[in-house]
Amino acid sequence: MNLLLDPDDAAFREEVRAFLAAELTPALQRGQYLNAAIYPEPEISGAWQKILHRRGWLVPLWPVEWGGTGWKPVRRFIFETECALAGAPLVHPMGVRLVGPVLLRYGTEAQKQHYLPRILAGEDYWCQGFSESGAGSDLAALKLRAVPQGADYVLDGSKIWTTHAHHANCMFALVRTSSEGRRQDGITFLLIDMHSPGVTVRPIRTIGGDHDLNEVFFDQVRVPQANRVGEENTGWECARYLLEFERGAGIFSPRLRSQLKRVGDVMRSLQAQGTVLDGLLYRRFGNVLADLDTFEMLELKTFALLEPGRTPGPLSSVLKLRASRMRQAIAELGIEVLGPHSLRWHGAGEEPAIEAAEQALLPDFLNSRAATIFGGAQEIQLGIIAKTLLGDPLR
Amino acid sequence: MQLSLTEEQSLIDASVRSLLDGEYDFVQRRRSLDASNGCRAELWAQFAAMGWLALPLPQAVGGLGGGALETGLLMRAFGRHLVVEPYLACAVLAGNVMAELGRPAQAQAWLPGLMDGRLRLALVHEEAGQRDPWARATTTAVRKGGQWELRGTKLLARGVPGADAMLVTATQAASGATAPRERVFLVRPGASGLSIEVARCADGAHAADLRLEGVTVDDRDQLDGGAPAQLRDACGRAVVALCWEAVGAMTAALEMTVAHARQRAQFGRPLIQFQVVEHRLAEMAVCCEESLAACELAALCLDRGDGDATGLASMAKAKVGRAARFVAQQAVQLHGAMGVTQELAIASYFRRLMAFTQQHGATDWHAQAFAEGRLGGDAWRQSSTLPATGPHRESAP
Repeated sequence: MNLLLDPDDAAFREEVRAFLAAELTPALQRGQYLNAAIYPEPEISGAWQKILHRRGWLVPLWPVEWGGTGWKPVRRFIFETECALAGAPLVHPMGVRLVGPVLLRYGTEAQKQHYLPRILAGEDYWCQGFSESGAGSDLAALKLRAVPQGADYVLDGSKIWTTHAHHANCMFALVRTSSEGRRQDGITFLLIDMHSPGVTVRPIRTIGGDHDLNEVFFDQVRVPQANRVGEENTGWECARYLLEFERGAGIFSPRLRSQLKRVGDVMRSLQAQGTVLDGLLYRRFGNVLADLDTFEMLELKTFALLEPGRTPGPLSSVLKLRASRMRQAIAELGIEVLGPHSLRWHGAGEEPAIEAAEQALLPDFLNSRAATIFGGAQEIQLGIIAKTLLGDPLR
Repeated sequence: MQLSLTEEQSLIDASVRSLLDGEYDFVQRRRSLDASNGCRAELWAQFAAMGWLALPLPQAVGGLGGGALETGLLMRAFGRHLVVEPYLACAVLAGNVMAELGRPAQAQAWLPGLMDGRLRLALVHEEAGQRDPWARATTTAVRKGGQWELRGTKLLARGVPGADAMLVTATQAASGATAPRERVFLVRPGASGLSIEVARCADGAHAADLRLEGVTVDDRDQLDGGAPAQLRDACGRAVVALCWEAVGAMTAALEMTVAHARQRAQFGRPLIQFQVVEHRLAEMAVCCEESLAACELAALCLDRGDGDATGLASMAKAKVGRAARFVAQQAVQLHGAMGVTQELAIASYFRRLMAFTQQHGATDWHAQAFAEGRLGGDAWRQSSTLPATGPHRESAP
């Protein structure tokens, strides 16, 4: 084992740094730095996506003929690390990281030719229609009905917790096409035009004041059957494949470190203003940093041992669990650092108006509570970990 | 970059596991606990024959030049079997202090014997009332009539019983413009003014308290003058090795607990079928995975030459210390009443892991020291795994 960089990887790292120095504007850095919501706003992430696409570095995991980079895992790790630590915006994952791989694997040639170039160019903005009010952790309980009628499906029902549905023009969704047999075997994966008649988006304010989430209603919405991915009633397989990417394809540690850097910046500016940071705060910071340093090693090890283009499978539950808890621990440290100052709500309305790092810490803390809930709640992850790390079959 | 064991490393790992699987089950371990000085002579000889006593020492002094990772692999296996022989105290810690600080004549007199198992040295450094394991010794060294005179008290030094000599740290007070200077001295068990009170630690280790009441030492028994940096470095490396040992013990405790939860039935079904138990075991498994990663990170950074042994040691201890406490406590909890008896091995694992959390600086102390060290600079703002290069263009303030 060693942590030395091969000369060609070291050169690649320099190449990435040079790219960032040339292309990453202060406005984009600021947009990411002051963001306290789950994702930055589309104008920030979209602008960065275009720059990455121009450079050919937008979709490392896709096949090379569709714009993939063919990087071995260590290169991907280097790339993600350099981008996050330089403060580059997070690319909105719904298109490039989630529905893209599903289309590449299960889509028809026509679907690929239509959607993939638009995803790459950022022409479509995607949202994910999975959860419903009665189907959260138990996703297979979903009910949104899709009834074949002529060349279409007619949809009735609703989706909830739909991130950025108010920005999106496309949704990939799981719909119920059969109530026979196993619940999982009556689900179909559909691509929906958000501008279709009968689609209504209702905002849901998050605990941090942001408008990220929505409820989406479908009233007699017609979706062409040509927008079905895979066969009817095989959507569950697509969903499982997608969830593997949702939980496993992201590299979390560099983003967590930039979150901690922001807290560190606030600590430093408080000290400069004469605040004495006590030993307990130091101890807390030490624990968070030790967790993060360790997590980065665990993540690098997990990714480095992967074949190119693969996700880490069940081990991604360990990464997801730890990353989500760490996100919360860092956010909580931010609140502890600010103490009573953290309570000031910035902005007159419900939505916080964030102009400086310290103003982002409270909404970030509040929003971070979602980290152990979305993408599979931590209780679901613990169940998966038990079944895999402790030996199969457990029961 | 290679993130799996090399063939040579796998071989070390396999050989230590295989020897201990044969020689060190829970019943055989009793023989080590009862052996004079907590060290089975024939086993120590086997350690030497396997090259393990030479492994952590640099090639320049005739050692095998194993890195922190290789030493870690041995320590993990020792932890797995709760080995009581003082490998860390004598072979790793004292051996490296002698290798780094010993004068040529001292090194020649001691190191070959240490490596072939004929001789044992033990470092005697920690003192009562010191939370800080890197603190300068309060034991004093005073120059008197061309000799040194040592006075002070040392606490629970492992490996002292049965050692042929001790490496004792003491501080020469400041005089005039000269700052206080820490020095290391070779002291033999029979030295006049020295009293050794043998003691047992909670984990079964044999140790001793030392009182030095005017112990005189010749110049030729003083190691290379005042070198706190090397001493801290050796102590830091020992803490990393100690964390590897804890990972071995934690993993074994987890496996035992999983086995127990499968086999033990209550309310008509195995414990493992209760979700509360299943999730607890998953949390323990995550602790073990993370702790291994912390140890690997610390060892690989040391082996890469990052040179920050105390910082890396504090990182590892802050992480593994917390994880060890959780795993040990939950292992006992899930064993139920049987977990608090000496009849099952799990209580011994608990005692070892509890001892670990307090050895060479408590977990919380290390967390704070780690933060203080890191916040003094900017390195923490960069990757912990990729080698350091020039600074990043920082994000907008």
